[in-house]
Amino acid sequence: MVKGNSGRLGSISRSLLPLFCGVISCVVFVGVWEVIGANPENPIAQVLPPPSKFLPVLFESDFKIGLGSQSASIYQSVTVTLIRVISGMTVAFVGSIVCGLLISLSKWSELFILPILGLIAPIAPIAWIPLALVVFGVSNLTAVFIVFMGVFFTLTIATVAEIKRIPENLLITAENLGGGNFVRWKFVIIPAVLPGVFTLLRLNFIAAWMAVLAAEMTGLRDGLGTVVMTGRNLFNSNLILLGICIIGITGFAVDRLLMMIQRKFFWWKV
Amino acid sequence: MSSHSSALGERHHQPILVCQQVAKVFHANQQSSFTALEEINLEVARGDFVTILGRSGGGKSTLLKLLGGFITPTSGQVLFHGVPLPGITPKIGMVFQENTLYPWLTVEQNIGFGFKVRGKQKCQYALRVQDVMEHVGLAPARHLYPHQLSGGMKQRVSIARSLAIQPDVLLLDEPFSALDIQLRRRLQKFLLNIWQDTEEATMVLVTHDVEEAILLGQKLIVVGGQPGQIIESADISAPVFSDRYDRNFLDLQQHLERVVGEEPDMMENPFSWATVSGPKITSHS
Repeated sequence: MVKGNSGRLGSISRSLLPLFCGVISCVVFVGVWEVIGANPENPIAQVLPPPSKFLPVLFESDFKIGLGSQSASIYQSVTVTLIRVISGMTVAFVGSIVCGLLISLSKWSELFILPILGLIAPIAPIAWIPLALVVFGVSNLTAVFIVFMGVFFTLTIATVAEIKRIPENLLITAENLGGGNFVRWKFVIIPAVLPGVFTLLRLNFIAAWMAVLAAEMTGLRDGLGTVVMTGRNLFNSNLILLGICIIGITGFAVDRLLMMIQRKFFWWKV
Repeated sequence: MSSHSSALGERHHQPILVCQQVAKVFHANQQSSFTALEEINLEVARGDFVTILGRSGGGKSTLLKLLGGFITPTSGQVLFHGVPLPGITPKIGMVFQENTLYPWLTVEQNIGFGFKVRGKQKCQYALRVQDVMEHVGLAPARHLYPHQLSGGMKQRVSIARSLAIQPDVLLLDEPFSALDIQLRRRLQKFLLNIWQDTEEATMVLVTHDVEEAILLGQKLIVVGGQPGQIIESADISAPVFSDRYDRNFLDLQQHLERVVGEEPDMMENPFSWATVSGPKITSHS
């Protein structure tokens, strides 16, 4: 037990070390920024106002950003953007697993469909924005569609690859234990591919995040991207920096959240 | 040496699995083919423990796959309870050499997997799983996941999972060869205990380890030659063959090591020189 305890302590200090170092480097980064930006004559301070300048904007405006009737609270902007990204990614995740499974049912569907997916996958999600605006108009659907397009094809290809990677004996064993075709899909193939596909979803989150922000900057009227664009339209670099800062922190938080989901629900290796 | 006696101990009952003139040819393409096995005649009766001995690549695993319905014979037939074996069936369990546990399931869930995939409700099989776990000494590990288990524990779970659904025959494809020698001995004892405790348990085990083949089997066959055939078979149900220090055991071991060692690939058994130049063998019959 003693050994176990010291092991646990060791692991806690090991897991705290990156956090500790991360906090220190952030503090140093902000500190240097503040020192450089302290002099208002400094051109850098005008383009890149330090946090002590742009953070008060939040409180002065009662956490609201924008002009008149178009103003939205910062929470609302964050929530809108997050809902768009998360729903797009969820639809893409479920859809790509279903499609990957269907494609894997036959060698021919693989041969015919995969090349098309391979062709569409590298298209930057941002490129779909004009099309989506025409089809769906200025709506949440546009943002969800763009996120979906940015993630779905890559994930479908990954699902097909993951299915191929499943050790044959895991499937044979299920059959040997009496599992029929459908049961093998449900109890072996789907759980076997989930971790790999989710990892890729996490890696593709950045692309989805960028896509939805770009959509908010170009077409949509709310969300975090709009905060930055409002700053641009008002020549307010404090607002721009505030938006950028919130985008960074939220993106980081979502990435950590996905990592936690992975550790909690999709931790196994096949 | 070949002793096809019909009396294989008290446990001998009617045959469950029968191979009749079975041959298996693998076709790489239209021009080249490889005959893995030919003229295999074999009978596995209820309650038997048959060990199939042979060097790696000698066709013994192919024979086991034929017995399990994992592959179909090119000619001849495999009969299961008197009718041709249709294919993979839960009535014939299989334990592989490598780990085939589902990494996302706990020990308990892995053992219950055979019931789950057949649509049984948990309340219907929970007791059976509990029983099996206690019988094989896995109850304390019930909530662990495969990656938290040692190699030996994993194999125990695999065996327990196959046994849980009560197959008529359990096939084991070199189940212990990835384990170190101490662990292998423990698991051999474990398997033998299960076989002895269960009245009608029927097992067929493939191995390249001569000692293991004699120690576990009641009936032993050697697959060898090119193409693979049954080159030796022996009734080893007498108690002397369960004592690895008994004279008869050692004689048979030396004899079989020579038989297996005379196969073309001598690297398979680096110590085969010891048996070749060893003392004179007293004939075993």
